[in-house]
Amino acid sequence: MSAALSAEGLHTYYGKSHILHGVSLEAGEGLVTALLGRNGAGKTTTLRSLVGLTPPRQGRVTIFGKDTTRWPAFNIAALGVGYVPEGRRIFPNLTVHENLMVPLERPGRWTPESVYRLFPRLAERKLSRGRQLSGGEQEMLSIARALLLNPKLLILDEPSQGLAPLITREVFRIVAQMRTDGISVLLVEQNVRMSLEIADQAYVLDDGHVVYSGSARELAADEARVQSLAGASAEEWTLQ
Amino acid sequence: MLELIFFNITNGLIVGAFYALMAIGLSLILNLSGVINFAHGGFLVIGGYLAYVLTPYIGFWGALIVSPFLTAIIGVAVEWLLIRRLYGRDPLYSLLLTFGLAFIIEDGTRQIWGANGLPVSVPPALMSALSSRFFFITGYRMFMVATVAIVVVLLFVLLRHTRVGVRIRAGTLDLETVAALGINVRALRSFNFAVGIFLAGLAGVLAGGQLGLEPTMGDGLLMPSFIAIIVGGVGSLTGTLVGGLLIGVAAGLTAVVFPSASDAVMYVIMAIVLLVRPRGLFGEEGMLT
Repeated sequence: MSAALSAEGLHTYYGKSHILHGVSLEAGEGLVTALLGRNGAGKTTTLRSLVGLTPPRQGRVTIFGKDTTRWPAFNIAALGVGYVPEGRRIFPNLTVHENLMVPLERPGRWTPESVYRLFPRLAERKLSRGRQLSGGEQEMLSIARALLLNPKLLILDEPSQGLAPLITREVFRIVAQMRTDGISVLLVEQNVRMSLEIADQAYVLDDGHVVYSGSARELAADEARVQSLAGASAEEWTLQ
Repeated sequence: MLELIFFNITNGLIVGAFYALMAIGLSLILNLSGVINFAHGGFLVIGGYLAYVLTPYIGFWGALIVSPFLTAIIGVAVEWLLIRRLYGRDPLYSLLLTFGLAFIIEDGTRQIWGANGLPVSVPPALMSALSSRFFFITGYRMFMVATVAIVVVLLFVLLRHTRVGVRIRAGTLDLETVAALGINVRALRSFNFAVGIFLAGLAGVLAGGQLGLEPTMGDGLLMPSFIAIIVGGVGSLTGTLVGGLLIGVAAGLTAVVFPSASDAVMYVIMAIVLLVRPRGLFGEEGMLT
């Protein structure tokens, strides 16, 4: 298995606070890799380190065979790394249509027309401003925006956050579909059960350390561990 | 009396158009880069003097187009060499830097061209009055207002209908996400800076044709431009445009009844707006909507 992305020994800080303590992980080519862990474990920081928004102070990030550790975020994205940030980060002052004009145009199958076909709801709301959208619509827009880069690697930070179960299921279905399209996916999620259902590989972060790495299926079988990861809000519903 | 009022409204509109042109450029740079460009008046001076140098070779019309572009190129060079290094730091640093640049440009101009006023020769066709009753409405004044109007419309088209314009508007609220979507935000900032400085250079050429050139000609425009931004609402270009015209016309009308207060009236307007609508006239819509 070759890796679309690999990180070795990342140490990342916010100012003086030391968040990541030597995180290493790989996102396999054409696979879905889930990065799980409790709130504050360092999942978002890991993703921000990988995409160049909060560069690590130590360690190495390799994406598609290139050492991108010190690259600015826009160069990493231009390699074909789509990023769906935590909280969606829709541009609230722009219309849906304008939001889709922002990303770099990398050639490929995703165009504004084809993302509107994937998300018909966005086509209906083309002229609404970002701030007028519901959470689910914002999530779709954030994913659509990242797809317009025609990414080879898609990195999603908690896409199901704050969404109704039905919409969450829809989002997971689309993420799973990306895998069939040959896009490698790195997924950070609170929704442990659903993530493990669509993931091939899984990592568990705790307090800035990787405490589990291996197959998603094995982790899913370890009911005690899943329970402790999912915490009090253990989701009962699954993809079926 | 009617002529007098009309004369002052016209004057106010012209002055206001200059405030707006300067303020929109300042506003673009402030919104995307967080830099309060105190050297903006300096770039106006550069634009005016470039036109003075170029006019003998390429005529007024040539200079009208070429000097704002050259001013923008100088602006980008300054941004690339100096201002860019201070992005992301306390705004005080860039404020001090551009404040210093303003002095350097003013004294440099004085050194090269002298402290005395210089004329920019305007085509005679533009100089004649349109009628003897409204002698103050010369072709050149109409031309200035029309040019400002056209440029502002073009700018709004750029910001609303082109990718780079939409990216600038996106970047004013969340530049990090724009970068994460693969956009070279350094180039975006430089381009945006260039657009702002282009407007200052254009204002310099236009002002030179009406009033002649002086090394200090930018000074009087800077403060009203900041006030135009505050009155219109920081972040709203429409507001900045309206703010500029409003304080220009208000100053013009005040000159009819109480001439000595015509400079003070814009501060009064700012105070009233800040008391009644602290976000400015168009401030609620959010940045660059």
